[in-house]
Amino acid sequence: MTAQNEIQIQDEIAQLESRLQEAKARLSALGASNPAIPFRPAPSPSPSSSTHFLLLLSDSALPIGSFAFSSGLESFAAHNARASFGAFLPLSLSSYASTTLPFVLAAHRQPADLASLDDQLDAAVICTVGRRASVAQGRALLSIWERSFKTTILPSSATDALVLKDFSTLLRRESTKAGGEAPLVSAHLGPLFGAICAIVGLTLRQTAYVFMLSHVKALISAAVRANMFGPYQAQKLLASENVQDLINVVVEREWHTSVEEAGQSVPVMDLWVGRHELLYSRIFNS
Amino acid sequence: MTSPFPKSTSRPGDGRIVVRLLPAGGSGLETISYQYPLKLISPSPTVAQKSALVFLLSYGGGLVGGDGVNLTIRVHKGSSLSLVTQGHTKIFKSPSLEIVTSQKLQVQIDEDAALCLLPDPVQPFEDSVYEQVQVFNLANRASLCLLDWVTQGRIARGENWSFRSWKGRNEVWTQGSDPAQKERLLIRDNIILSHGGSQPIGLSLKDTMNKVSILGTLILRGPVMAPIGDFFMREFAALPRIGSRDFRSKEDQERDSKEMPEFEQWRSRRIDMERQQGVLWSAAQVRGCVIVKFGAASVEAGRSWIGTMLAREGSIAAYFGHSALMCVEP
Repeated sequence: MTAQNEIQIQDEIAQLESRLQEAKARLSALGASNPAIPFRPAPSPSPSSSTHFLLLLSDSALPIGSFAFSSGLESFAAHNARASFGAFLPLSLSSYASTTLPFVLAAHRQPADLASLDDQLDAAVICTVGRRASVAQGRALLSIWERSFKTTILPSSATDALVLKDFSTLLRRESTKAGGEAPLVSAHLGPLFGAICAIVGLTLRQTAYVFMLSHVKALISAAVRANMFGPYQAQKLLASENVQDLINVVVEREWHTSVEEAGQSVPVMDLWVGRHELLYSRIFNS
Repeated sequence: MTSPFPKSTSRPGDGRIVVRLLPAGGSGLETISYQYPLKLISPSPTVAQKSALVFLLSYGGGLVGGDGVNLTIRVHKGSSLSLVTQGHTKIFKSPSLEIVTSQKLQVQIDEDAALCLLPDPVQPFEDSVYEQVQVFNLANRASLCLLDWVTQGRIARGENWSFRSWKGRNEVWTQGSDPAQKERLLIRDNIILSHGGSQPIGLSLKDTMNKVSILGTLILRGPVMAPIGDFFMREFAALPRIGSRDFRSKEDQERDSKEMPEFEQWRSRRIDMERQQGVLWSAAQVRGCVIVKFGAASVEAGRSWIGTMLAREGSIAAYFGHSALMCVEP
């Protein structure tokens, strides 16, 4: 019950903040035409800064290597003779949202919990291929943060940014640790994406939407390379209302799902993704 | 006058099983208690018995809407327990989504102890609402074999994933080698099937199941399960590549298969059966556990597949006794 309340309050805060920013933007627009009001720099992170990072994080050129993964699409096509992308897309979105989106949302709401969320997600991804895909992209995103984004971050987000510093120190220590026990952190994509989006000033809603849209973009790009359809059809699909609706409904469905309740809503997806290793010829790593 | 006896704290559906190593060797039941609608039966132990055996039953063979079962189990150091059922656990319909039929299982397995839980599948009827939470706390050298499976419903009545909601969560926690260490979550396997969940993406639950009639998850951990875990990993690696072609002539294939060792003949028969009966499976090594997921086009094919695998490898029957496998016998 308290968790529910907390989430509601956090939603409210996010809404109020976006209204505040809007109002400030309107004020500064007035200020430009009215020299009597002195110009004050926008509080950080300024709307333009968060928009800038929104565009960077949603860019398909973001070098996290998502082009290498098809999230089960290739295996699905090999298992089903009359496979169509149209049949796969809603299943994949539903499955990815129910298993991973709650971790993205939780990390955005509480970046300090990053390490614990990462460990819990690692316990919940029960498939070698899916785990490999998630960890490869998560580590790449962490590198982008450390080598590229970190230096631009404004002092106001410094405490949250420390979380990422501690996280990567822990990750380095754990990866050198020998022994059979599971490492304390693995760097899965979902929680890292949520935490980084929070630090660069994206709202919760934006973060969820960009995360799901990036998944759709990766799937569609994989479908083009697997010769299921051409690039124009791909853009048509991406622009379609159907894709927008699908993203919105799954985000809404998982908005209040706690990470303890996150789970697989399309169990055959685990079978397809898990059996990707059995494909005789492969284009993708998942 | 107030009763001199302590107030009973047990509630409907509560149950408790405690297993301990007997002084003369072998595992014995220290406690077995239950309340309606749960029923626990243990056949009187025999000398040859390798593990304590308990049947998990419910009155009438099923749970009606709103029933709750809450079973706590402790397997003490060095002892072993097998849990089985008698027939599918039927889940009857609920009048609404709010009335949840639930089963909760909380298990503590101590050092060198082992639990084998191979029940019949859960069979949720049309309009049922079911939630199952099974939490296993394992000491460092404890062993667990857990099968959790669910069917599409009553096929004879045309039910095909027609329930309102089915949620099944399995958690494996470990205490680690150091007693001061905090317990740690190793595995959280969670399946959420509901019409409310598939409707938003414009599909019925049945449409998301890809013609699978039964779905199962097998979780293996600990020294006792190492051989069976390795067996599943090896057999998964040995599956034929999808999309590969056999360029040998039919005669050559037949001749070669006659010359194969017995085990490889068995494997090739099994793989043929998997193909014919629509059995899809995968195995993965995750955080010190082996997790097998499988689905089959018919309930019998699923049962027969898992039964064949467990029986062929043989280490579960050898450790727990043949009774442990009675629900998965093909």
